[in-house]
Amino acid sequence: MKITVQSKTGEAAFDCGIHETILHAGLRQGLSLPYECATGTCGTCRARVVSGEVDVRWKEAPGGARLKPEKGDILMCQTRALSDCVLKVPSDIVVVEKFQPAPRRGIIRNIQKLTKDVAAFDVHLSEPMTFEAGQFVIVESDKWAGGRAYSMVNFNAEADRIALVIKRKPGGRFSDWLFGECSGDAELAVFGPLGRAVFRPDEDKNILCIAGGSGIAGIMSILERAVQADYFRTHKGSVFFGVRTLQDTFYLEALSRYVAASHGNLAVTVALSDEAAVTPSHLDFPALQLASGMVHEAAANAMGGSDVDAIAYIAGPPIMVDAAIRVLIRGGMGTRNIRYDKFG
Amino acid sequence: MTWKRICGTTDVAENSIKKFNVDGVPILLVNYGAGYRAIPPICPHMEEPLEESGVVVRCILTCTKHLWAWNLSTLELQGETEKPLKTYDVKQEGDAILVKVEEELKYEFDDESADDDDFFK
Repeated sequence: MKITVQSKTGEAAFDCGIHETILHAGLRQGLSLPYECATGTCGTCRARVVSGEVDVRWKEAPGGARLKPEKGDILMCQTRALSDCVLKVPSDIVVVEKFQPAPRRGIIRNIQKLTKDVAAFDVHLSEPMTFEAGQFVIVESDKWAGGRAYSMVNFNAEADRIALVIKRKPGGRFSDWLFGECSGDAELAVFGPLGRAVFRPDEDKNILCIAGGSGIAGIMSILERAVQADYFRTHKGSVFFGVRTLQDTFYLEALSRYVAASHGNLAVTVALSDEAAVTPSHLDFPALQLASGMVHEAAANAMGGSDVDAIAYIAGPPIMVDAAIRVLIRGGMGTRNIRYDKFG
Repeated sequence: MTWKRICGTTDVAENSIKKFNVDGVPILLVNYGAGYRAIPPICPHMEEPLEESGVVVRCILTCTKHLWAWNLSTLELQGETEKPLKTYDVKQEGDAILVKVEEELKYEFDDESADDDDFFK
């Protein structure tokens, strides 16, 4: 099928297969279609069908709450084309050349429980994938409906293995399956890389990272990339990692290793929302500082004048991301310096 | 064309936003320090309620949901913002803030009567 998108910047056309969403089809062919979560929750990829026939698979997607279906409004991430279509898309569309996402097959291996409700797993890819630090993929399986977004934890070029983190949600079909009956070696469809909350060493700025729970995943990739490039020899970094209690922490060893490799320029603070931090640093991981309270408050308290020019990366549950964005804007940071994924 | 009192000069603190109802028209009054702006209550991007999602710092109003932002002094669009803010005229008279409301300002996604060409406006 041929999809034509009309935007303020003109018209563009691309092919769309019967089994892929319009969003995936456009992105893999290098078009900068608007999206954030790519999984139906944010509403950023809205478009209006001018002509053609489409199939919307998740009609109740929360991101579609403000659409006007009677006018042909859709979310491109939830819609397949049944015929050639013409769409209007309300933002600028250009062709991008770098790291175009593509569909791959993946095999789940090495599931490891990190806390009572967080697990790490690897996905071995049918084709290597090059991605930027901070990006994510959508995974899908015939065992559950709809795609789920997960940020890569690792960082290397031409990766044939990606490391992902999942938080168990009550009633979450994928997480129940992964924590329960999945014995490993299960097959998934993987689409990526996606996401614009990326870290590039050539931007030459200090970095400030605020993560809640499993949102630390993408931050780990950013830190890995930074340490590989010895970025902290000449730049400062602050990481605020929010969890409920000390029992809910993970990746502390890896975080300690990054601090040790930072020439004293990386500070990591673990913020505990549901219990008091009784010591200033972690007893078992003394390179990591502890704070009591919500992670965005810990970040606000530590924010100094020089942080205004840093690039901020925020990842976690939507409500935490919103709170952290407010803190940074109130602290004087400009919108161009704030990057986040809000797929929760 | 009528000027209406929206509130007193001490009712909206500096760098804050407050929602008022002027003859049935919902209006946000924003005090950005150097002056006031009166605007519709939602973000022109995705209809977020700016009273909750908006933050005002150094003359810049930012909708923290998706980071659209405007300079309230010049109304210039900041960063990746794609649509301008609509504004009502505002003036101060004594200890009162007045707004001129001829009709309710709406962004196009609100306009049920418009045809499909409203999509890009």
